[in-house]
Amino acid sequence: MSSTPVAPPPSAPPPAPPPKDTFTVSFDGKAIEVPKNLNLIDAAKLAGVDIPHFCYHPRLSVVGQCRMCLVEIEGMPKIQAACTVPLKDGLSVKTTTDKVKNARAATMEFLLINHPLDCPICDQAGECTLQDNSFGYGNQLSRFDEAKRQYPTFDRTMIGPHVVADMTRCIQCTRCIRFTHEIAGTSELTFLDRGGRTLVWTHEGQPLANDWSGCAADVCPVGALTTREFRFRSRVWYLQKTPSVCPGCNVGCNISIESRDDVVYRFLPRLNPTVNDYWLCDYGRFLSEPLNDRDVHKATVREGSAVREATVPAAVDRIAREIRSSLEGKGPGAVFFLGSAHLSNEENFLLRKIADHVGSPNRDAIVDKSRPRKVKSKTVWVEGDDAGANHQGAKDMGLSPGAGGHGLDAVIAGKASPEVILIADAAFSAIADDPEKVAALRRARFLAVAARNANALTRAADVVLPAASLAEKEGTFTNVQGRVQKFDRAFLPKPPIRAAWEHLLLLALALGFGDRSWTPHDLLRQIAAEVPDYAGIKEEELEGGRLLKKGDFAWAGRP
Amino acid sequence: MEKVLTARIGKKDSRSIDTYLADGGYTGVKRVLTSGMTPEQVIEEVKKANVRGRGGAGFSAGVKWGFLPKDTKGKPIYLFCNADESEPGTFKDRLLMENDPHQLIEGMILASYAIRCRNAYIYIRGEFYDGARILERAIGEAYAKGYLGEKILGSRFSLDITVHRGAGAYICGEETGLIESIEGKRGQPRIKPPFPAVSGAFAAPTIVNNVETLCCVKHVIDRGAEWFLKIGRNEKNAGPKLFCISGHVNRPGVYEAAMGLPLKDLIFGAEYAQGMKGGKKIKAVIPGGASAPMLTAAEIDDCPLDFDGVAAKGSMLGSAAIVVINEDACIVDVAKNLSKFFSHESCGQCTPCREGTPWLYKVLTRIEAGQGRMEDIDLLARICNQMANGMTICVFADAAIAPPLSSVTKFRAEYEHHVTQKRCLVGARAAELVTV
Amino acid sequence: MSHTRYRVMEAGEARRFPPEAMARIEKILTRYPTKQAALLPVLWVAQETWGWISKEAGEEVARVLDLPPSHVDGVLTFYTMYNLRPVGKHLLQVCTSISCHLNGAESLLERCGKRLGIGLEETTADGKFTLVEVECIAGCDRAPSMMVNDQYFEPMDAGKLDALLDRLSREA
Ligand SMILES: Cc1cc2nc3c(=O)[nH]c(=O)nc-3n(C[C@H](O)[C@H](O)[C@H](O)COP(=O)(O)O)c2cc1C
Ligand code: SF4
Ligand code: SF4
Ligand code: FES
Ligand code: FES
Repeated sequence: MSSTPVAPPPSAPPPAPPPKDTFTVSFDGKAIEVPKNLNLIDAAKLAGVDIPHFCYHPRLSVVGQCRMCLVEIEGMPKIQAACTVPLKDGLSVKTTTDKVKNARAATMEFLLINHPLDCPICDQAGECTLQDNSFGYGNQLSRFDEAKRQYPTFDRTMIGPHVVADMTRCIQCTRCIRFTHEIAGTSELTFLDRGGRTLVWTHEGQPLANDWSGCAADVCPVGALTTREFRFRSRVWYLQKTPSVCPGCNVGCNISIESRDDVVYRFLPRLNPTVNDYWLCDYGRFLSEPLNDRDVHKATVREGSAVREATVPAAVDRIAREIRSSLEGKGPGAVFFLGSAHLSNEENFLLRKIADHVGSPNRDAIVDKSRPRKVKSKTVWVEGDDAGANHQGAKDMGLSPGAGGHGLDAVIAGKASPEVILIADAAFSAIADDPEKVAALRRARFLAVAARNANALTRAADVVLPAASLAEKEGTFTNVQGRVQKFDRAFLPKPPIRAAWEHLLLLALALGFGDRSWTPHDLLRQIAAEVPDYAGIKEEELEGGRLLKKGDFAWAGRP
Repeated sequence: MEKVLTARIGKKDSRSIDTYLADGGYTGVKRVLTSGMTPEQVIEEVKKANVRGRGGAGFSAGVKWGFLPKDTKGKPIYLFCNADESEPGTFKDRLLMENDPHQLIEGMILASYAIRCRNAYIYIRGEFYDGARILERAIGEAYAKGYLGEKILGSRFSLDITVHRGAGAYICGEETGLIESIEGKRGQPRIKPPFPAVSGAFAAPTIVNNVETLCCVKHVIDRGAEWFLKIGRNEKNAGPKLFCISGHVNRPGVYEAAMGLPLKDLIFGAEYAQGMKGGKKIKAVIPGGASAPMLTAAEIDDCPLDFDGVAAKGSMLGSAAIVVINEDACIVDVAKNLSKFFSHESCGQCTPCREGTPWLYKVLTRIEAGQGRMEDIDLLARICNQMANGMTICVFADAAIAPPLSSVTKFRAEYEHHVTQKRCLVGARAAELVTV
Repeated sequence: MSHTRYRVMEAGEARRFPPEAMARIEKILTRYPTKQAALLPVLWVAQETWGWISKEAGEEVARVLDLPPSHVDGVLTFYTMYNLRPVGKHLLQVCTSISCHLNGAESLLERCGKRLGIGLEETTADGKFTLVEVECIAGCDRAPSMMVNDQYFEPMDAGKLDALLDRLSREA
């Protein structure tokens, strides 16, 4: 190809500007560029303009039913429902005129005349769109002397295993119905009757029992649908929200851990369009309950036939001693390290570093398979079937047998007989509660585990370390898509409980490497420096997770 | 005026295809299908005649047909005949269908040809069992004689017509509610745009026309737009028209006259309703069905019954259902009765309509029962103003406010009397006035 | 005004469409581009087959049309002409909308109720009559208008009503 630049002939028209992929839309006189495919309500948000709404939901079909999002559009004489106005270039939207204010106040008044206003006993209070919009956009209420509508037999009723309905509070926005039609695809919910008698219900004998039923309560803008598990447990304004990742499976749904006074009250989905979008499966959502369970509070050490309490440093020292003595007697091959799909990348990484340090090729991390779980991202279904959130990460961190080393299978089958076994998470698999398998592990001279709850394995172990729960630590998981996602700590574990990475750091120090000041942040930096696929990963980028550049993840598709 | 739409009604066997053919029926279809008249030419003729929709909105049928996309991207085009006729006071389509079904079928064949529709439906309200049976039979006859089915009269045009029965929901008369209903759903009107002509039933271009409108199409093709335009007050309000009159008149019924018939003539004319029962005075007239604002006795003078004539009086011709109310009736009671209808029929998806219609009914019930307060009268007006003009998806809510708002405005004294005297100004509820 | 329609899905007996009904349904299906579009007509077939539409009948309709039962419930309860409970042999439907109201509909309704000893939405003990109030049935020029099952009776007055009820009572 010739590289000689060709001068345009003098008469040529100027090159046409590239076609815009945005529209210029103005809100209250302020023009901004917005992507063409946005809904007007979301476009307004980009411009910093809040358009109050109930029925509109970014992932559900637009129905224009609640009539809260009213705005004026230049050139249109009548008030318009913003969610139904197609975006186009030059649209001029007014949201602060008297006409708009009055119209919104009118809708608020209509919504409130039949609403029970039982906020003091309603779980939604504090996160109720009706409450918020009433403060923001309502007028003083006129007298409503008529009897309020009631649905006596449709209140405080379980309409599924998790969801409780209080139809008197319903504002008929149909979000829940559309959720079951359009996202879950199960269509359990429908409108019944019509006009002022309309209500949302299920077909008798076909309860709201899909895998994501809790999401119906999430999309409900009021307290008409709530979850049984959270009902009357806490006022939402006392809850602290901590960004985290669901421990349930390798989809790795983004969640908010909602806690108060060191107790986890619930998980809510946290928006991540590339993973779980606005959704969360019920299985994962209600793992919030068992997250508070704990029966290992202290470190214990077995001496002879007696099990005694010990301090964590003393217990770790004991492990270090046992490792050293085995190394001296039998060499590195005598120690076996088992990570877990429930541990963070940082923890699994540190475990692998310890194995490297002592020179043992015997390391592994396994995962149980679960019933397939799936959740809809913005564009595709993301599916997983690991009974743990981070098997991918554990493998990436190098927890598979090295050259000449053995994995867990070999140990259990008796093909390998390590003297010392260190299991960094006692809940790594159902194996840990299988007496036969545990007996196989127990063949080792010394068996150490970190645990939150007792099981056959902890009962058999020589040393048990009290380990923090997901809520009590921070770190990263790598999901089925190969997306590295960060989770934060909601609260500190009660001493002497510590996160597995702290136990492991103590052990590393006892074995002669590492730095007392290391935190998960430092460990992530080391991962970024040392683990090829994780090269250059930065914590600051992990908002929403970062997709690793790997081609080999088997999943439904990439957004 | 010579009877056009009702010309055959009252004749012996007016429903049968034989008498229809004997009266020159289906000549329009024959001519169009064999003369090479193009669909565009049919649309042009209907456009020229300015056949304004007889279902209520008065929109030009030809212009509506012109909104159909030229390229439907492989999608079919549907024609739905709106035979839901549920507006209180309206009973003209029932008359047309029960007595002269072939007139409608011929109108539908011509309209379908014009818009290139292969499958047409008649959405008939569930209560019209007879109407549905009569139409079914007539459609059967038309198939048998080759006016329906494959390759009609040897042309390349094929058409099937299906009678689809509603099941009790006024809102299914609203064209997008009707479309939802035909799709097998709750009849909840849709957001517009898209308009049905662009994307209607089954996401395909769809035309909805009223029974009487389609009957007019037949006559426009038979006799030409020129003829049609000459009937009536002016070219914007042209053609033969059926007027339904009921209430306190001597001879209620359906009367055919030229568009623009003076309202007073309809009420008092010898060939029409022949005046008020018992010689009573008029208190109010509803000129266009329950959805039309009431007129006072004074307002009915020089009110031509056509789209623009009634609109000039601040009301609407609607479905041309004229309900005449005499001086003995309590206006609060009338408004309450009409509000009960709207409260019962709201589909319930829009907040202002779902909540507003029962609210209006409750307040009216209270006032009527002598338990109202003075503020309630303004409250009624305020509720009404909060429901209309873009506040809802369809204009049902705009219709629902017509009775309370117009009566509160025009008959305020009666409301006040109810409040202050705790009883009715006229002494009795309409319900108590007449016993059967 | 009809009562609320959400106390729905009264349980009845197990239902399967008999062959004649299935044959009608097959024919109906040929007239529509989707199965769902046949829902209203098929619900009519169900009502004609069993007289009312029980929970089980609704499920049968859902089955033959491949629809979620909840969708069928939503449609069934939207339209007032589907009977969600068993009704009497004669369903008396009295219009109380404006033109009939102005012409004595309420007293007609009252007379009906008194003569039969039932209130609105109720059925006589012998299962012969059910009384309901309906909105305008397009018989306003012959007010007050009423229907018994699928037949209009209009205009009505006390004498005609009595004669009608007598005749229907005498019928087997
Ligand atoms: C609440 C409501 C009810 C309606 N009911 C009817 C009806 O029963 N019959 C009818 O023909 N049009 C009815 N319409 C008008 C239809 O929406 C539509 O305009 C009409 O069928 C179009 O036909 P036309 O242009 O031939 O009149 C109704 C409209 C509204 C808003
Ligand atoms: S239950 Fe909640 S989400 Fe469902 S329609 Fe009612 S208010 Fe909306
Ligand atoms: S205005 Fe009323 S009838 Fe029309 S769509 Fe809204 S709720 Fe339904
Ligand atoms: S958010 Fe637009 S109408 Fe509900
Ligand atoms: S008002 Fe009763 S039939 Fe129309």
